[in-house]
Amino acid sequence: MEYPLNRKSAAPHPNGAYLPGLIWTLIRTDFKTRYHGTLGGYLWALVKPLTMFAVLYSVFSILFAMDAYYALNLIIGLFLYDFFSESTKTGFMSLKEKSFLLIKTKFPSWVVVLTSVSSACITAMIFSTAVCVYIAVFKRPLSLLEIGCFSLYLLLFLAIIIGISLAGSVLFLRYRDINQIWELLIQAGFFFTPIIYPLDIIPHKFHFFLYAWLPTAVIQFSRSVLVQGVIPSATAHLMLLGSAAVVLFSGAALYVRLAPRSLERL
Amino acid sequence: MAALEVQDIHKSFLIPAVKLDTVREHILQSFKWRMYLNHRRELRVLNGVSFSVRAGETLGIMGRNASGKSTLLKIITGIYRPDQGAVRCALPITPILDLGVGWNPELDATDNICLLGTVMGLTLRELKTAKDEILEFAGLGEFARLELKHYSSGMAMRLAYSVAFRAVRGILILDEVFAVGDMEFKEKCYARYEEIRRAGHTVLMVSHTPTDIARFCDRAILLEGGRIVREGSGPDIADAYVRSLTGEKCP
Repeated sequence: MEYPLNRKSAAPHPNGAYLPGLIWTLIRTDFKTRYHGTLGGYLWALVKPLTMFAVLYSVFSILFAMDAYYALNLIIGLFLYDFFSESTKTGFMSLKEKSFLLIKTKFPSWVVVLTSVSSACITAMIFSTAVCVYIAVFKRPLSLLEIGCFSLYLLLFLAIIIGISLAGSVLFLRYRDINQIWELLIQAGFFFTPIIYPLDIIPHKFHFFLYAWLPTAVIQFSRSVLVQGVIPSATAHLMLLGSAAVVLFSGAALYVRLAPRSLERL
Repeated sequence: MAALEVQDIHKSFLIPAVKLDTVREHILQSFKWRMYLNHRRELRVLNGVSFSVRAGETLGIMGRNASGKSTLLKIITGIYRPDQGAVRCALPITPILDLGVGWNPELDATDNICLLGTVMGLTLRELKTAKDEILEFAGLGEFARLELKHYSSGMAMRLAYSVAFRAVRGILILDEVFAVGDMEFKEKCYARYEEIRRAGHTVLMVSHTPTDIARFCDRAILLEGGRIVREGSGPDIADAYVRSLTGEKCP
């Protein structure tokens, strides 16, 4: 059989036509490698977040039985913050981790940053589904609007994470301890965010500062629609949308500026 | 028509005497910036390299180690940016700077073909039809489901070669990739390479093997210390390269 040539070779490369396939393949092979050779296989991707939800909910329901919603609020806070923490930490290291590809082939390096958060995204999606199903079955029915709002918050959270990861990944190539600084910030941020304590115990005049740390806004809004069934105001939505856009575009701008030269540091 | 034009490329790397990698080091050094500036050495890798390649032509690049060949290829490919000068391409570039880059040893051959193929610019649709051809060319059809960690290095290289040569578009850039497999596979690769040339692809080939440059290149250049010191036919440059290694003077 003749080994065929690429018949489109005389024409310019279809503008980014291969990019969706590249992104999908990087996500798929990363996912496959993660669970490759394990007894449970892909089932682990499902079991781990579901077990985490079941264990946390059981423990905190018993410990804080007096407050019917405390356990649920705590779990939503914990899982969203964990999503933020894990995916940004992976994002910071993404260019370095895939340096063997980036210095030998030519494709847009932002693809590597984007796909690095995929694993955390899959876990977040499974966990979100579990939380929504639990609330709908055992607490109160969720309206489509509430589910839509929660999905929007997750999307905006992802945009924030991608913005931070884009900036962090190129900065890491210049300043190799920036990931350590980020980890410290994440740790401090955990206690700054109202996860284990309710926001109400903080005087109202300080709320602005807490909301300036964006995970607070996403966590509070998510709790509001899922647990209390209250949709935040349009102004609040606009502020979250604007903040997410600022973080995403700032991260992208820094990336575009620094990435071409930063690859020489790999 | 020139498929590729390289104009007056300069590239230097700053080599600091004190390596500054962390925020702490940067802050500390900023207090003694004079010392910081004085302790940086400029390593000039390319110094005004210019040439052009016509569509369908094969240009060979030879030179000793550290003469700037790899940096030049990375600049043409777009991985590095030049300090000065420009690269103009009329066609898309397929770089094969290393075989099997990006392999995942935990995955089987089929998944690795997808991984490497998409990295090299093939779409999923193209890969769907190309998978079997790639495996057949590599002679590894029966090992399609075997994880790459169980492949011998020769088998892995054959597979990498097959994927890379399936992804060729426009200008092909080769960096020392002919040293693969046994004689039979090598001949198969040479035949495949001739096919690519006959199809009208422009090729830029870096090699330390004079016979490859003499056999495949219409024209070649010899790099030394980041400059082009000689241009000529493939056999002429191959000869000049060997003479430069042995210390003989070129006629």
